[in-house]
Amino acid sequence: MKKSKSPEASRAPFKVGDKVRVRDMPYMFYTRSQLYTRGAVGTIAALTYKDLIPEEEAFNFDGHVEQYYIVRFRQKDLWPGYPFDNDTLQTECPHRWLEPATN
Amino acid sequence: MSHTHTHGSPGDTHHKAAPMVEEITDYEVLEIAVRELAIEHGLFTAEDHRKFTEWAESIGPAAGSRLVAKAWTDPAYKALALKDGLKACKEVGVDWAEPTGVGTPSDYMEFHVLEDTPALHHVIVCTLCSCYPRPLLGMSPEWYRTTNYRRRLVRWPRQVLAEFGLILPPEVEVRVEDSNQKCRFMVMPMRPEGTGNWTEEQLAEIVTRDCMIGVALPKPGRTADVHPIQKARRPVKSSHQEAAQ
Repeated sequence: MKKSKSPEASRAPFKVGDKVRVRDMPYMFYTRSQLYTRGAVGTIAALTYKDLIPEEEAFNFDGHVEQYYIVRFRQKDLWPGYPFDNDTLQTECPHRWLEPATN
Repeated sequence: MSHTHTHGSPGDTHHKAAPMVEEITDYEVLEIAVRELAIEHGLFTAEDHRKFTEWAESIGPAAGSRLVAKAWTDPAYKALALKDGLKACKEVGVDWAEPTGVGTPSDYMEFHVLEDTPALHHVIVCTLCSCYPRPLLGMSPEWYRTTNYRRRLVRWPRQVLAEFGLILPPEVEVRVEDSNQKCRFMVMPMRPEGTGNWTEEQLAEIVTRDCMIGVALPKPGRTADVHPIQKARRPVKSSHQEAAQ
């Protein structure tokens, strides 16, 4: 598992078009960052809203508020052997689940 | 003991109850418990709950159909729908902040309309549970909430669409929108050919729920989401059914 390098809050927000990797982090009991996206590289398609993170809100804890993003993935990057080059998938992630990616 | 009636004797079909399975999940038990507590503590009344349930079950996808039909005929409205979905909903009579009229707000206030083009086809799913733009489209269909649809749509979208009868050429980009956070989505399909002089009302009729989920395309004459029911090849027969025949 990749170790977090810096506190999420200190990283600059992403912009539309930025390449990001979904981090593979542990979580306690609840998350909305789906396993099938962990480690995959996608592109920021939109900045949506700022809100509590699900890992805390699920337990009625008003903790971190973060920027949420719609991230676009190529299906080929999510599923080995996916046969259609053009197909994509979009899902939402809060800031802490994303890190800058170069490839 | 005066009770002489015998059950289960041969030929006694009158008193045999129909086979029945009553199942309740842990979450349904939890919902009942939380609901009863909330009523007991005065957060809402049983009457409020009944009204809300009846409202939730009564709304259908009609407002969504009107939204798409209006966007097809009015470019300015289409631009609004793509830019500010909530504002566009208000113009077809749906206020996400006050959808019930009984003071219950929507759970989420982020709504995006996904525009299909000749090169791009959208389809929505929630892999997390059953997120769906309910204020606009009503309750989701039962199949939308099944794990079968949810897990297979993200992995095998074209195969799942084919099961709905929708086969798209490989050059069209199929984009799955997984609404697993707080945004809600609907699909704005392309206006089909052969509808040139149609009115908004006529157009709305062919924009069915399935078209706004993205598992079907609108076309003249298709005004309902009908999924064929295949007859079982080896139907199970119970003694109860035989007795009824």
